[in-house]
Amino acid sequence: MGVMDFLMQGFQTAIQPQNIFFAFIGVLIGTAVGVLPGIGPMSGVALLIPVTATFTSGMDPSAAATSSIILLAGVYYGAMYGGSTTSILLNTPGESSSVVTTLDGYQMARQGRAGAALSIAAIGSFFAGIVSIIGLVLLADPLSEMALKFGPAEYFSLMLLGLAAVSGLAGGSIAKAWMMTVTGLLIATIGIDAVSGVARFTYDIPVLFGGLEFLTVAVGLFALGEVFKTVLHKEEEAEKVAKVGRVIPSRADLKESAGPIARGSFLGFFIGVLPGAGATLASFFSYIAEKKISKNPEKFGKGAIAGVAAPESANNAASGGAMIPLLTLGIPGSGTTAILMGALIMYNVQPGPLLFSDHPDVAWGLIASMFIGNLMLLILNMPLVKVFAKIIETPAKYLLPIIIAISVFGVYAVQVTTFDLFLLIGFGLAGYLLAQNDYPIAPLVLGLVLGPMIENNMRRALTTSNGDFMVFVQQPISAFFLVCAVLWILVPFFLRLKGKNVVVNVEG
Amino acid sequence: MMKTKKWKKWLVAGVILSSLTACSTSGSNAGESDYPKKPITVVAPSGAGGGWDLTARSLTKILGETKTVDQTMTVENKPGGGGAVYLAEFATQHKKDDYKLYVNSPPILINNLKKEGNSPYGFKDTTPLAQLTKDFGAIVVKEDSKYNNLKELMDAVKKDPKSVTAAGGSAPGSMDHLVAVLPAYKSDIDPKTVKYVSYDGGGEAIAALLGGNADYIATDASAVGEYLKAGKVKVLGISSTERLKGDLADVPTFKEAGIDAEFTIWRGVFGPKEMSDSAVSYWDKTLKKLNESKEWQDELERNGWESEFKDGKEFETFLKDQEKQVEELLKSLGMNK
Repeated sequence: MGVMDFLMQGFQTAIQPQNIFFAFIGVLIGTAVGVLPGIGPMSGVALLIPVTATFTSGMDPSAAATSSIILLAGVYYGAMYGGSTTSILLNTPGESSSVVTTLDGYQMARQGRAGAALSIAAIGSFFAGIVSIIGLVLLADPLSEMALKFGPAEYFSLMLLGLAAVSGLAGGSIAKAWMMTVTGLLIATIGIDAVSGVARFTYDIPVLFGGLEFLTVAVGLFALGEVFKTVLHKEEEAEKVAKVGRVIPSRADLKESAGPIARGSFLGFFIGVLPGAGATLASFFSYIAEKKISKNPEKFGKGAIAGVAAPESANNAASGGAMIPLLTLGIPGSGTTAILMGALIMYNVQPGPLLFSDHPDVAWGLIASMFIGNLMLLILNMPLVKVFAKIIETPAKYLLPIIIAISVFGVYAVQVTTFDLFLLIGFGLAGYLLAQNDYPIAPLVLGLVLGPMIENNMRRALTTSNGDFMVFVQQPISAFFLVCAVLWILVPFFLRLKGKNVVVNVEG
Repeated sequence: MMKTKKWKKWLVAGVILSSLTACSTSGSNAGESDYPKKPITVVAPSGAGGGWDLTARSLTKILGETKTVDQTMTVENKPGGGGAVYLAEFATQHKKDDYKLYVNSPPILINNLKKEGNSPYGFKDTTPLAQLTKDFGAIVVKEDSKYNNLKELMDAVKKDPKSVTAAGGSAPGSMDHLVAVLPAYKSDIDPKTVKYVSYDGGGEAIAALLGGNADYIATDASAVGEYLKAGKVKVLGISSTERLKGDLADVPTFKEAGIDAEFTIWRGVFGPKEMSDSAVSYWDKTLKKLNESKEWQDELERNGWESEFKDGKEFETFLKDQEKQVEELLKSLGMNK
């Protein structure tokens, strides 16, 4: 039996009325989970596991497993659709994977293009979802092999490329972008080191042992920073109440987004396949790449629709890609897929090398249901865009308290310590001061994400190579990333020396 | 159309409401005869896929399915520092939180005793509730590895320790590391020369092995059955006293492979140090009942775990004994505090 036959069988499973119903419930809750900061896809899926167990209790074990995994996976990719909403409307990233969406999404909303931003995010997510499922069907086996080939050296070099590309997130000055990146890397070292277990910069303060929570930092810098700015610069802002404008993106918008969506989908899918890399990195990389190849890079950060389309496609595609190591190897690539794996194990379905032969009905049923779920999400999200976009018309005096409340609840729900609330306020102030002085915030956040991964993988690679740094250039994939990283930094530099007008260095 | 929109609003409102109530009541533990009143979190202090994670998930699953515990139980993964990262949080911030349980195994002793990167906290900063299972360490190589038995592998390490990379899902000096170097130590190899790379959890370690980024890994015997069945790995030895049943029945013990060593990995549940008496007695009863249930015994068998139940008191006595053992072992490895 070929892939197509299996897929057809999968569709037979997926279009059973109860499975369509489960997929719908899943994507619906997923959308809500994505919209609300604080409940990320991970806690959303985890909270629903016992609920689905009750739903499916009367069914035979295999069908119960299929139905519940269809629902839970729906929550997972549904959350990726919904995650952009607060980023775009309130500058408040609901998930780490939609942090980068705030950069242009929020600017678009302020220009009255919230509708276009939200709908392009939904369309991009849909396209990316379909691309990643097709990738999952056709490339699962070769890609799982490729993901395994990614050792510590390859991860290190990939992350280093991410850092080298950080200039893509710069506003006016590359030097400021680098300062912020290094600050992010430094902040990331706080806590008990995961490789050796040694406490660093904790000063025996217990709340620091776990390090600073990424979401607290990001929400503080972006959302509260914006709140402080609006409050302190009241007069200038008072006149402007953004209008929603059209919901359906214009032809020009669509044309401008088509490339970013396609590239974001592919990039996101491949990064998603790598265990540990995940949706956050995928969204950052695709944003940076779009800015790099764009004819108008100066538009990014000021409401470029490509800056919404690319990362939102990428994070959704990454969630599809992350299913590959989960289903074919039994290795979860992210916290959320780990919980999905736990759910499968609960039903006595062991994800791993034997899943497709032992439980083809579950695996293919899930894949087929992802097609249906993505379609549902598109249909569900387009009308919702209109409803959500209205939020932006709320006057500042009502909107600001809402943003503050969402930020505080969101952070407290994740961390449950008052320390994080103070941290939130502290980073809010920092975010305001930094933005006032043209220090870009995104590189700091990226440094915070990449820091631990760079460090741990470098140490793993060096342990394996007995301390020999050549390991990073001897592995072909790793060497390739390093060359890209060096070129990324040097090429604009040399072009400028030759007198060419290079946007990256002179903008602002 | 209007109707569905309203319904969506209610749904969103409901989710907000439930998330708010979930955080508003934490920390109140006065007069708790009606414990538990709200959802319980079981923390697995590692990434998903490893032994702690599977134990936490089985525990919550069976307690929920058999309706032994009415409240929702969720598993949270808090990786880092071989369990030390979360233990620090557990022993300080959550020391009065009756709704947080913690799954651990020998690392809770090891991390507290070893020299490098030790945890200031140990089992004495928790309330041991019960030991649930025992498991064993396994030495695993890739299916196409040139090493076919433990002896060959150890000979290669002896000849040139730099040429063989060992990996495991936890930090240096922790359990996977101890299991990885135990055969070497018993083969008169200086354990300090064994090249050990730590990953976040057993799942990542297996990925490193399959991808050729490690020559052998030490992991829990219960986690390798599926990969062995699929023909992806060879299991060279198990640290048990006698052969296991199931998928691993053909694998020799360390002793049979010519290495005079054994190592038992218990897994147990801990409560916070200042857990209220009513909560302690609730879990004492509940976990005993769990152990007697057929569903739990079936679950253990499915996972290839051996049942070994000790209640809170027995468990604490046992921990004190094992603490001495581990201290001796670390001392002989030159890794004691």
